[in-house]
Amino acid sequence: MPVERAASGASLIDVLDRVLDKGIVIDAWVRVSLVGIDLITVEARVVVASIDTHLKYSEAASQSILVARSAAGKAYDDLLAENAALRAQLGSGGPARRAAVSRRRAASRI
Amino acid sequence: MAVLPKTAAGRVARQARPRANGRPESRAARASANAPAPASRRAAAPLAGPAEPTQAAATHRSKYVYCIVEAPEPLQFGAIGIGAAPSEVYTVHYRNLAAIVSDAPIETLDSTREHVLAHERVNETVMREHTVIPMSFGTIFKTREDIVELLRSAAGAFCDVLNKMQNKLEFGLKVLWDRDQAVREIETVDQDISRLKTEISIQKGPTYFARMQYGRLVDAALQTRSEAYLAEILRQLREVAVASRINRPIGDRMIMNAAFLISRDQESAFDARLKAIAAKFDKLTFRYSGPWPPYNFVNIRLKLERA
Repeated sequence: MPVERAASGASLIDVLDRVLDKGIVIDAWVRVSLVGIDLITVEARVVVASIDTHLKYSEAASQSILVARSAAGKAYDDLLAENAALRAQLGSGGPARRAAVSRRRAASRI
Repeated sequence: MAVLPKTAAGRVARQARPRANGRPESRAARASANAPAPASRRAAAPLAGPAEPTQAAATHRSKYVYCIVEAPEPLQFGAIGIGAAPSEVYTVHYRNLAAIVSDAPIETLDSTREHVLAHERVNETVMREHTVIPMSFGTIFKTREDIVELLRSAAGAFCDVLNKMQNKLEFGLKVLWDRDQAVREIETVDQDISRLKTEISIQKGPTYFARMQYGRLVDAALQTRSEAYLAEILRQLREVAVASRINRPIGDRMIMNAAFLISRDQESAFDARLKAIAAKFDKLTFRYSGPWPPYNFVNIRLKLERA
């Protein structure tokens, strides 16, 4: 099947896919309060929050796996930290509390 | 960073304008007045521009920004800007950087077909001669000074990215297949699937589990098959592209939604390669578009903070 190149403005979907949130994006609190970006009168300053240039041959699949893994990793770290904190609490609680806990565990098993 | 209060900047600009007839103002003025850079630029621009649209500027001081380019001299692109009556598209400068702008009333621009296409049309026009960093849709600044301030504040980032994107173009490629046809092919090729299919068709009793199994196998086979297509197409295009980005496919028929960054001098090579691929995979539909500004390869997020 012959493939022809369409001009960049030919498909609205293709245009929307790009222009709405790609390129230079300004997160502007100013836009919420008054329309139009006003740096001078409201004495705002521009801060570069992030720059990404994708100059690699990236594969979406591997990216999303990495993201998922790091998110899971974070959750795991949080869990470990929480666990350690709880252990410390239990340790300082003394034998009476520990006994109470084990009784409760026994009860729940029944 | 010292942002000059508007009143002061405005006053300097008004004062500077009348005696800004001799050209060699800038070096000293710019050096001495590092902070009011917006002001000195504002004064300098009218004499440099061949046809600065002062009348339009009088009606709207606010400006829509399309993209950022590297351009030491003022540029004009004609009346192709956004708005009911097409507005003049020109440049606002800070040192070597220029914002491509047109005068626009301060209002929230809806992303209507007309507006969005106007934004793209300007980018496309500018791109013919310049490397652009596209602005996302709908960014309006209150005054020229605000735009100069933007360029000044993010100059490092803009220069860096402009360098990286120098003489590169983006192309879009969507690949679609006929899913039903792919399923039919799989049924003839895959023995397990074809056996299950006959089982289901001749079985008298409940076929629930057979159908479940069939569905799972077909889905997996479709997945494998589309991944194989994708890998092969990417492998071939990689040789003529600088970079690629794979976006999420839209809808059931699409198996690939990608953007490629191509050197200007590789454009025809990419074109030829794509045609060869399309000829080889004649059952797939290729939708190829461009050249685009490098939307998929540049993401600069700017925040405004209260000083």
